[in-house]
Amino acid sequence: MSISAPRYVVPPTPRTGRASRLLAIADREFFRHAEWGTLLAVGFAYTATVLATVTTVLFASLAGSVALDAFATVFASPLWPFLILIVTTAAGAGCLAEDVGNGSFTLYRARPVHLVDYLAAKTVACGSWLVIASVGPGLVAVAVTAALGYAEAGLALHAAAAFVATGLLAAVFFTGLALALSSLTDRALYAGVAIFGLVLSLYIGGALVAGLTGNPYVPYGSPIEDLHRVAIGAFQVSGTSGTSPAASAGVLAGAGIALWAFAGWRLTRLEVIAE
Amino acid sequence: MRALGPARVASPLFRADSVTRRFGDVTALSDLSVDLFPGAIGLVGPNGSGKTTLLRLLMGLIAPDSGTLTVLGHDPLREPLRVRELVGYMPEHDCLMPDLTGIGFVAHMGRVSGLPKETAMSRAHDVLEFVGLEEERYRRIHTYSVGMRQRVKLAQALVHDPPLCFLDEPTSGLDPKGREEMLGLLRTLATTGHRSFVLSTHLLPDADGLCDQVLLLNGGQLLVAGPVSELLSARDRESVVRIKGDVDPFLAALVRRGLAPRYVDGAIHLALPGGETRAVFEAAAETGAQVRFLGQSVATIEGLFLSKIQAVSGGEAT
Repeated sequence: MSISAPRYVVPPTPRTGRASRLLAIADREFFRHAEWGTLLAVGFAYTATVLATVTTVLFASLAGSVALDAFATVFASPLWPFLILIVTTAAGAGCLAEDVGNGSFTLYRARPVHLVDYLAAKTVACGSWLVIASVGPGLVAVAVTAALGYAEAGLALHAAAAFVATGLLAAVFFTGLALALSSLTDRALYAGVAIFGLVLSLYIGGALVAGLTGNPYVPYGSPIEDLHRVAIGAFQVSGTSGTSPAASAGVLAGAGIALWAFAGWRLTRLEVIAE
Repeated sequence: MRALGPARVASPLFRADSVTRRFGDVTALSDLSVDLFPGAIGLVGPNGSGKTTLLRLLMGLIAPDSGTLTVLGHDPLREPLRVRELVGYMPEHDCLMPDLTGIGFVAHMGRVSGLPKETAMSRAHDVLEFVGLEEERYRRIHTYSVGMRQRVKLAQALVHDPPLCFLDEPTSGLDPKGREEMLGLLRTLATTGHRSFVLSTHLLPDADGLCDQVLLLNGGQLLVAGPVSELLSARDRESVVRIKGDVDPFLAALVRRGLAPRYVDGAIHLALPGGETRAVFEAAAETGAQVRFLGQSVATIEGLFLSKIQAVSGGEAT
């Protein structure tokens, strides 16, 4: 017999760490954009890249030899960066703007979450969609051509590395761009229009100014042109001239990081609680 | 510094020591020093009085220009994440994610607060049942009414079981029935468990009967802070007089008899030393006024606030 009645105490629930909280935000942000617009753009990127690449490599194989530049067909036109731009708009335009617009940014800031973790979570979510759209299709295309026996293993690996390098650079730049422009407004629509408008105006304006002035540095100001040059360098496409692929890669990576830092600075300036 | 009550033995819920915060030329909080202890605390004042600034300071979202703060023994500036683990926050403005269901939103907020996924989901069910949204928890938030939105905001503030909640205007935008239901929930919170909350409101009746401590702010200045029972007991001695006739001569006659009457909303409030009512009737006889009512005033936080405001503005005038 006990001398007192039993007492039960609920032990405190152990709290998860920073990484877990960051992943909770990233998880929600990623799946929030798994809607028809994003999925359609991603699906189109896969279809176009795989069909164009496999067809070109097939013809090169029938002609007798397959070189690395046969994998670069998809980069020959602005279609590829245009598709990445659509995915950026669909998955990235609202990543910060919607939280500010619906007020949930206040709730996140009132939680035990560092501002940099919040930004990192948004970066992971938006960047994941861009990696899926920019790196994935190339890798699938390489896998298909290798599986069909159109490209030998060494060449396939080289092509895969080129797709990864080009795709990652695109993801870094467009993630930074989406976060920066999304941090400037509380409406995803405005951010989307700004992303599209800025990239297209730099592309068209850069081409016009370069044509009129002949200045060789103007094309570095156009992300689409930079991506094109990086792809040409990565896939060793011969007989082309213009900007340096390495310099274009530097411009894209530098601009992406600078835009990301700008988004972080903007978040520190946002009012957390309206008076 | 104001120490609240001699019998207080618990450590303070939060402590402010000479805290000042300015935004440009505007002083949002001026030299605030206060200790408040576990319980239901009313943070009361008109719009722009510094309530939200104080909440932001307490959560470590902004830094004071001078002075120090502690919340549950932690410095919100040095340990902001620790403080935010220990507090729940219900903002005044809309802050919900309209594309999520009620249960999905509250569980998500639980995870962001550091709860494991399964625990967050289980707690989300519990708190949504507590706030009366068990039937609607699988509906998307954009279909919720204003009252349901307020409830889900309260639920997300409670999901990680914080010992302290900051509730910013929880009855804002609610109809009378919704307001009464929300106050009922807060009353339950105040009387069960070991959870404290700070109820920030400009609706003074909301704090009446709900809060056991109150902090009155006006224009960034502390008017008064302390246990409601102690602050209002001083006002129990105040009487209310209603008369038929000219008020001004009657007030002047009372002043000549050494009293300090206040005319508020058609009634004259005054303290009668020793409960002696003779002076009132003498003044009425002198001025030809009819005393229609003479009784003790009902002590409320609203009344306390108005008297403090009047005292401050009277002091400024002189």
